[in-house]
Formats: sequence, C-alpha cells, structure tokens
Amino acid sequence: MKRIVMLLLVLVCLLSACTRDSGKKDMETGSEHADKGSSNGSENNDENDSVNPDEPGWKQDTSPVALDWYVHASWYTGEWGKSLVSKYITEKTGVDVNLVIPSGNENEMLNTLIASNNLPDIISIGFWEQNAKVLMESDMVHALNDLADTYDPYFFKVTADGSSAWYTYPDGNLYCYPNESYSPDQMTDDVLLKANQTFVVRKDIYEAIGEPDMRTPEGFLNGLQLAKDYAADQGLTILPFCFQGIGDMGSYAFESYIQNFLAIPFEEDGQLVDRFTHPEYIRWMKTFRQAFEKELITLEPFIDTAAQVEETINNAGYFAMLREWTSLEVANGLIHDQDPNRIYIAIDGPSNANLDKPLLYPGGVAGWMLTMISKNCENPDRAIRFLTYLISEEGQQDFFLGKKGETWDTIDGRDQLLPDMIDLLQKDYTKFTNDIGAVDTYWLMRNPVIVNKWRPEYPDYIKQMIEWTRDKVDTTQGLYDSIDPPADIDEGIMLQKIKRLWGRVLPELIMAESDEEFDTIWAEFIAERDALGFETVQAYRQMQLNDNKAKLNQ
Amino acid sequence: MMKQHTWVKRLKRQKQRQLMVLPGIIWLIVFCYIPIFWLVIAFKEYDITKSALEAPWVGLKYFKEFLSDERFYTMLKNTVGIGFYKLIVAFPIPIIFALFLNEIKGTKFKKFVQTASYLPHFIAWPILGGIILSWLGKTGIINHVMITLGLQDTPIYYIAKAEYFWRIAVISDVWKELGWNAIIYIAAIAGVNPVLYEAADIDGAGRFKKMWHITIQSIRPTIAILFILAVGNLLNGSNFEQIFVLRNNMNLDASEIVDLYIYNIGIGAGRFSYASAVSLLKAAASLILVLGANLVTKKLTKESIL
Repeated sequence: MKRIVMLLLVLVCLLSACTRDSGKKDMETGSEHADKGSSNGSENNDENDSVNPDEPGWKQDTSPVALDWYVHASWYTGEWGKSLVSKYITEKTGVDVNLVIPSGNENEMLNTLIASNNLPDIISIGFWEQNAKVLMESDMVHALNDLADTYDPYFFKVTADGSSAWYTYPDGNLYCYPNESYSPDQMTDDVLLKANQTFVVRKDIYEAIGEPDMRTPEGFLNGLQLAKDYAADQGLTILPFCFQGIGDMGSYAFESYIQNFLAIPFEEDGQLVDRFTHPEYIRWMKTFRQAFEKELITLEPFIDTAAQVEETINNAGYFAMLREWTSLEVANGLIHDQDPNRIYIAIDGPSNANLDKPLLYPGGVAGWMLTMISKNCENPDRAIRFLTYLISEEGQQDFFLGKKGETWDTIDGRDQLLPDMIDLLQKDYTKFTNDIGAVDTYWLMRNPVIVNKWRPEYPDYIKQMIEWTRDKVDTTQGLYDSIDPPADIDEGIMLQKIKRLWGRVLPELIMAESDEEFDTIWAEFIAERDALGFETVQAYRQMQLNDNKAKLNQ
Repeated sequence: MMKQHTWVKRLKRQKQRQLMVLPGIIWLIVFCYIPIFWLVIAFKEYDITKSALEAPWVGLKYFKEFLSDERFYTMLKNTVGIGFYKLIVAFPIPIIFALFLNEIKGTKFKKFVQTASYLPHFIAWPILGGIILSWLGKTGIINHVMITLGLQDTPIYYIAKAEYFWRIAVISDVWKELGWNAIIYIAAIAGVNPVLYEAADIDGAGRFKKMWHITIQSIRPTIAILFILAVGNLLNGSNFEQIFVLRNNMNLDASEIVDLYIYNIGIGAGRFSYASAVSLLKAAASLILVLGANLVTKKLTKESIL
C-alpha cells in the first residue's frame, strides 16, 4: 500500500513538473515568436521603406498563410472555406482563416487559452466582456498601431478616428479595433440611423380590437385585456405579453429598454442619475404589476427557456412584446409565409406622462466585438494587413457582396446582390450563409456605415419595424456604453451583487399582490442595494462617463 | 530486495489487468491530483495571465468574504437541504427496488423492468431538464393529471414556486438514477449463496422473512459502503447540472446552491481565487462528512472504507 502511494506521489510530481515545464516552453516559444516578430519587423523595415502608405499592405504578399481566429460567441455558425465568399477572399489575399468557436461556455475556453498561453492569432470578443480588458492589460496582444507602423501604415487610412480614439488606452496604444462602431461624426448621417428596440403587437389581433392606444398605463392594460378577451372569444391560445432577456441578473426589457421608451434621462447637469428611481419608471413597473394581477402578464415569459420563448414567437403565440426587431426577423418571415396578417408590427408603446417620443439606443462608438492580434501570432505582418483589408471599403465589399459577376453586379448604377442571391437570402438563410457566405455571415469586422449602402431591401414585414424606430433614435446614448466597473475590482463585485439582487427582486415586484406590497419590496430593494455599495458603483460610473466624454471630445 | 522482486513479478503476471487500470490512474492523476496544487490560488490574488507562483498571498481573505456573503445562509441551506433530502429519499429507494426486483420470477419481465428503469441515466440533464420543465408546465402532463384526479383546481406553475423546488429536484433525481443505482445491489444480491434460502425454506421462513434475514443481511456491507460514499457526496448530491437546468429567477431561494455560486463567480465573473476558496471550503466540509459517516458506520456495522 505504502509503496503504491509513494509511486503515485512520484508520478504526480513528475507529471506536474512536466506540465510546468511545457508551460514554460510555451512561454519561451511565445517570446520567441515575439522576438521573431520584431526581428522580422526590423528586416521588413528595410523592405518597408519602400512601402507606400497609400497602398494596402496585403497586396505585397499574397502567399498562402493560415490564421487562427477565435470568436467569443458559441452561437456563431460561420464556417470558412466552404462558402463562395470565404474561398474568394482566401484566393485574393492568400489568407486562410481557421475559425475557432467555443463549443460550450465561452469564458471556459478563453480562460484556458489565456492561462495556458495558447492564444490563437486573432481574437474577437465583446467590448463588455471581462476578458477583453484582461487581454489588453496583460501584454498578450499586440498594439495595432505598432504593427501598422511596421507592416502596414495603410491601417491608419481605413480606421475611423472616433472608434480609434474610444479604444486608445491611456498608454497611447490601440490594442483592438471594434466592429459595428459608429464614430460620432458618422452618427449624424440620419439615413443610416435605426434602433433595435421595439414594442410589437400581432397585426390581426391589434386590428380586430380596434387599434387601441397603448401609450398610457390605462391604454396598455386596456389593449392587453381586449386582446386577451378577443383571443378567448376566438378560441386562440395566445399569451398577452412577452418581454426580452430574462436571466439571473434581471430582464433587459424591464431595465434600460423600458427606460428608453419612457425617455428617462441618463444625466442631469453632467451628473449621472439613477434611472431606476425615476417616478415614470416606478409608475410603469406598477402598471406591469397590475397587468400581472389581471393575468395580462403570465408566468411563462419568466420561466420559459429561450428556446421555448422562440418557439412561441415563431407561432405568433404572444399578442404584444417588448422585444428587439432583429430577434424577430426569422419569426416574422415564418409567420408571413403562413398568414401575412399575423405578423408582428411595431406600434407606439409605453410612454411617459407627456407622451414624449422614446429615446432608443442606435448603437454607439463602442460597437460590439473587439478584434485583437495576439502576441502568439507567428505572422503578425499578415494578420495586421488582413485586418486592414477587412476594415477597408474594399474588404467590406468583398465580405458583404462577394465577387463581382458571381454574386453581385452594378445594376441601375447601384452595387447589389444578384436577384437570385436575394431570393435565396430571404427563402433559406441557412443555405445562403453556408454556400454563399455574403451579407451578414462574416460580421466580425462589419462596419454598418459602409455596408448598409449595399444591403438588400428588407421585406416589408421587417421594414415596418425598422421604420418605426427611425425618428426615435438617441445618438448620444453611445456615451453611456462601458461605464460599468469590471468584475474583478471592488466596485465590480458590488455591481455583480446588486445585479443578482435585482434579478431576484424583479419577479417579486411584478408578482406583488398590491401596490402597497410593491412599495414595501421596492423600499427593501433600495435599502439592500445601498447597503451593497450602490453609491460607490455610481461614483465609478460617473468617473468612466467623464472619461468617455473626454475621449469623444478629442 | 526479495520482496520487490515478487512485487515486480506480480505486476508482470497481471500486466493485462494493470494495463486496463492504467488509463483510470492517469486520468485520476491529471484531473484530480495535479489540480490539487492549484488550490493554492485560494490563498492568493491570482491573475490568469500570470503564473500562480507569482501571485501575492492574501491569506484567508476569500474565505472570509464567502462566510460573510449575504447569500451564504441561503446557499448553505439549499446545498445541505437538497443533499440531505436526496440522501434520505434517493438512497434507500434503489435498495428497495432491487429487493423487489429480485422477487420477480419471470426473467423477461424482470429484464424489461431493469432496462427501462436505468435508461434515463443515459440521458443528459440538459435534455432531461427540458422534458421535466415541459411536464411541469401550465399545460403539462403533471397539471393535467393532478386536475383530472381532482387533487388541484387550477394549474400550478410548479417550477416557479420555491416551495416545490426541492421535491422536484429529488423526484427527478430518483427517476433518473433509480435503475442505475440499483445495479450494484442487484449484483450483490446475485452473489448471495442460494443454500441460505433453501435452509430458510426448510425452517419455514416466508418471502419477507427471507428478504429481511438473508438478502438484506447479505448485502449490508455494500449498503454501508455506498452510504458512506453518499454522505461524502451530500454537498455534491444537490447535483450542479440538474439544478442548473431547473433553476430560474423565481425559485432561486430554494435552488441557489454553492456549486452554482462557484460557477457564477468562477466562470462567469472570472474571480478564480474566490471560486477556489469556496470550492476548497466545500471540499473540506465534504471530507469531514465522509470521515464522520465512516466512523458512525464502523461503530454500527463494522464496515468502513478506510
């Protein structure tokens, strides 16, 4: 027995020594890569003296090279190498992309990659993610400006100043570049502006009940009641109301979403306000409580899984929804095929006492995913050039439309997809992404300001919802992006706890049996929230907001 | 010297069998023993971009943080509660099941029952959870049956009410694991010497007398050992995967368990040191439970695992 224990111990020590050794080796090769990178750099520097900063760098070298590209989104289904667009781009630039998509929890995979120092060449991750900050602050990714200086100065020609300024670190370096980012100067172009947040109702029922005004609490409750009665009369199984994004930390629809509908301001005299304690917000939360009491809000949206909710929507099973139109694109298509009258349409929803227009979030300079080049990358020269290409108008066009003559052409003076492509896009989206790969398949570096001019017209049942948002966008909201503290500092820990508290309190509020009970729960929530350090969190947010303002005023 | 020689000789003689065990041993070392060293980060301010050795020591900071967390009591109550509930309900049922199954004479029917009962074991919780959630829904089969039988007037959202959660967790766990857990008892029962039953027959013992005096007494060591292991699993007995798919915001007061918390702060918020501290604390509590159960069982039945 003793012997076996000894043997095991020896084995354990040996193995752990091995792992530590290999870890070290990895790090050595890592730094070797870095050295190689820089030595390459100096070699190339001589070459680069002849590099024309007005000429895209990727044209210099189109020999085959493979780049691993990690995407922090387990739901992403893009594949490289099968679709026409990806083949075309590999052929044109020589770059073969190997997309690395986590199969389970994204953080689990990325944490492992970071801890084992095994980062893929290129990484794309949401700007709000904790790991985005970890990567940029840990010296594991290249400063893009340094790479661009050495290999491809054309980079600075294609990047937007606002987006670069927003993500420039205090040390003066730009470690990442965002997609979906609207530089403030681009925000003024009202042709492009639309928001995602909508209040939608099922068209046939809404019309049958006489298109009631649902902007006031009374009107809202009345509308839901009429719809419920109508459904009962007609023998329809319909749930009156659904809302988006319920989770451990609350529901998106009942937070900033509804606050935007009520046009609650973010700040007063430069000071961040607590939008949750605004009287309008409380008034409407009480309205939702009353709706629950009258069984106009049911429990299903709280407990159904995302898949169950989606199934109900695909069958037009809700009357009204506080939901983003992008999450209804597929559903409305399906419903439209069966019965065009049942589709969801956007109408004016909950409003404040003055019936002011909602102030909807149209996206901001923060964008969506940040793309970085890791120091493990063996070909940083090719990576930065590829990135430059993707950001440039030429790359955007190749990604969005594909190869001229094959998938698109200039028809009536406008560059657009061929009619059979548009047909496939609308009829079978999956086949379109797999075989063609144009439009939104590879959104990793998508720039809406550039690509929207090539975007095929949306079908009417989508366009209606988009058009509804157009005059309600609030272009200043991007300012309030990324003001929350990261999870690994004290303020972040406080915020996490507050959010979890809110996640538990929210259903209690909606399900409270009377307004008095609502008030009691609310008062307890505010007290508990303050005890958890809300003031400190707000102070942090204020500081970040001031930073954000400074960045945008540059 | 001589002794080692025989040891090596024996190893050689058993080399096929030893080879079969080897993957298991390697797995154990890689995934269970090596990670033990990394528990050191529970006492350190660990940053995943650097080595654990470089991280500064913080002592018991994270242990204190967990013990003073405002949700600590709820989590403790749920973890121990669900675990204990499962122990007293889910532990004896497979034994009773195995005993009764043993009494069935028709081989074909017996095989069918056994197979049918352990099938759910092979379905993963995310899938089984989906099935259970739809059964428990407003229009699901459970409400349908309860209303038809006149046991309730209106549909109940079982999964949204904290008071039902523990029961749901225990019953669904019993359903999933009953047949699987019974296998070991069925095997033990198969090993009972038939001569004992014949002797009892001659003495005029009835079916239940034989069950009590022979079958149960013969499988007592198996029961004792499995009991000790089950107690050690008490804090895991709340089964992370199961709770993860069944919990929602409305039943959190009954479903928030320590493992869920570890997942949220470790994987979700990326606070590895804190998550390690919590899980180390849980492991220590489990160890105390095993040793305690072992001591008690040893006193009562003379069986022990150590």
